[in-house]
Amino acid sequence: MGITLSGISKKFDAFTALGNIDLEVRPGEFLALLGPSGSGKTTLLRIIAGLEFADSGTVAFDGQDVSHLPVADRQVGFVFQQYALFKHMTVADNVAFGLNVKKRRDRPSRQEIQARVAELLDLVQLGALGGRYPAQLSGGQRQRVALARALAVGPRILLLDEPFGALDAKVRKDLRRWLRELHDRMGLTSIFVTHDQEEALELADRVVVMDHGRIEQIAEPHDVYAQPASAFVYDFVGESNRLPVTIAGGAVRFGDRELQVGSDGLADGPATLFFRPHEAVIVPDGPALPAIVSLARPKHGVTRIEAQVDGLPHPLEIDVAGANPPKVGDSIAVAPTRSRLFPHPMAD
Amino acid sequence: MAKHARRATAESPIARIALIGVALVFLFLFLLLPLLAVFAEALRNGLQPFLEAIVEPDAWSAIRLTLIVAAISVPLNIVFGIAAAWAITKFDFPGKGILITLIDLPFSVSPVVAGLIYVLMFGASGWFGPWLQEHDIEIVFAVPGIVLASVFVTFPFVARELIPLMAEQGRDDEEAALSLGASGWQTFWHVTLPNIRWGLLYGVLLCNARAMGEFGAVSVVSGHIRGETNTMPLHVEILYNEYNFVAAFAVASLLAMLALVTLVLKSILEWRFDYHRTGTGH
Repeated sequence: MGITLSGISKKFDAFTALGNIDLEVRPGEFLALLGPSGSGKTTLLRIIAGLEFADSGTVAFDGQDVSHLPVADRQVGFVFQQYALFKHMTVADNVAFGLNVKKRRDRPSRQEIQARVAELLDLVQLGALGGRYPAQLSGGQRQRVALARALAVGPRILLLDEPFGALDAKVRKDLRRWLRELHDRMGLTSIFVTHDQEEALELADRVVVMDHGRIEQIAEPHDVYAQPASAFVYDFVGESNRLPVTIAGGAVRFGDRELQVGSDGLADGPATLFFRPHEAVIVPDGPALPAIVSLARPKHGVTRIEAQVDGLPHPLEIDVAGANPPKVGDSIAVAPTRSRLFPHPMAD
Repeated sequence: MAKHARRATAESPIARIALIGVALVFLFLFLLLPLLAVFAEALRNGLQPFLEAIVEPDAWSAIRLTLIVAAISVPLNIVFGIAAAWAITKFDFPGKGILITLIDLPFSVSPVVAGLIYVLMFGASGWFGPWLQEHDIEIVFAVPGIVLASVFVTFPFVARELIPLMAEQGRDDEEAALSLGASGWQTFWHVTLPNIRWGLLYGVLLCNARAMGEFGAVSVVSGHIRGETNTMPLHVEILYNEYNFVAAFAVASLLAMLALVTLVLKSILEWRFDYHRTGTGH
């Protein structure tokens, strides 16, 4: 089921949560809404679900306008961040809820409901726990109950609000892989909200990066990382070093020092140079940034160095391979091997 | 750390004994002793006069009226309380702050004023008095007035209990139910009500105790007609003023019993409520 959002805007009092959002979600896609808190991603998810209504703009499922349908009539499965399991009901009753509240003529028989619940609990690998209460389950188990409950009504679209937010790292990783498989097997269209770029890049077919109620970039995970559309995306997705520079006549300068980087065709004026920790080398001398090493520690098979540069509030972070990394106190020169320039110096 | 290490906030043993002693003496003097006195006075001449005082027609009528008032005002309170708490915690609307303040009004206004409001509105020379007289409807100095006054003074109990509880629980459970296709009524019945049941019972209990024990507001609107518009607290006062101490204390002891039962139930509910809220229930 495809989802088309056009011109979605939403204000809460004076705060603009979403400003004119257009988004096309392809059928069968696993889409991530990625952004910092307050970026509007959860509001957007809730508008798609029908838990919130846009001030303007339309939501269409497979071309059919559902903007004014309440959540009950949209056939979406919604998994809440804190799962919102019904505490006073057993796991099985939680899962059966969506079937039990159907109008009598649409409601399956008691046996059918029981069979469906058993099937769903097997699907989420909780077959034996139907008689437990939510309080007796671990976080990961609760999350899977929430999923089974959402799937019970046969939704065409699955919406997940920070689905892994409340879980510890190990459980999170397992659940991620499992959720991806489930999505593929059931042929759903799924959208999940996350502030964790690693999660978004690992799990989603496409990532929508949001900030301040706007979409900064829609791209496949690799492109979000390799071809960030804006300074915000560059900074938010992955680690980065930022350098305020000026462009003059095609040359890029940091202070009075010229750097050996392309000007990316930007006009003369102030700009911000970005490069990632692994996209820089330490050179003996030449057109590079002089710096003093202030910290050196092992990280993922390389040495992560923090180096203080005169006139920079934050140290540069550089990953150095090899057996003899610089030591704290060493004077070094850093040269970016790959970088991106964005106009408008970013406010810190 | 040693098992019996003193915490920083712990007082010295002497101070502790002194504090506990003061608290106990105070409780005994001001709470337990009067309570015992009520029962002692009621039974001073033995069980027979005690029972006679209770089955005496006027006393019996007062008991019945008190039960009727509670039976009407408590259910009304449940409905108003849930509706108000629901509206305040689950929706955003203009005037929310005013509604919260209004709910607290009966707590901040003297009960006598509450009674006078109804006399002013429905009394013979009140705003609606002439109209009511024309249509032969009695409110003040009759049962409807007593019920109105009781509803007024007990209004905050259920709502005050539910508002923080429902605010803490948020809207997620209700939204989950709605997203699963439940109607508003199904959501309320299967999700909201079970979530608030212990808090609701607690509020009902306090509301009931107040409805049965209210004196001030009811006294103003009742008219003190023996055997007709006297509730138990009013009847106690009349008997007392007539120097009929045994009968006064006999009826008073029933009210005291109500208080004791309420306290016990309240403790049980509090225990159950905490148990439930910490998620270790079932």
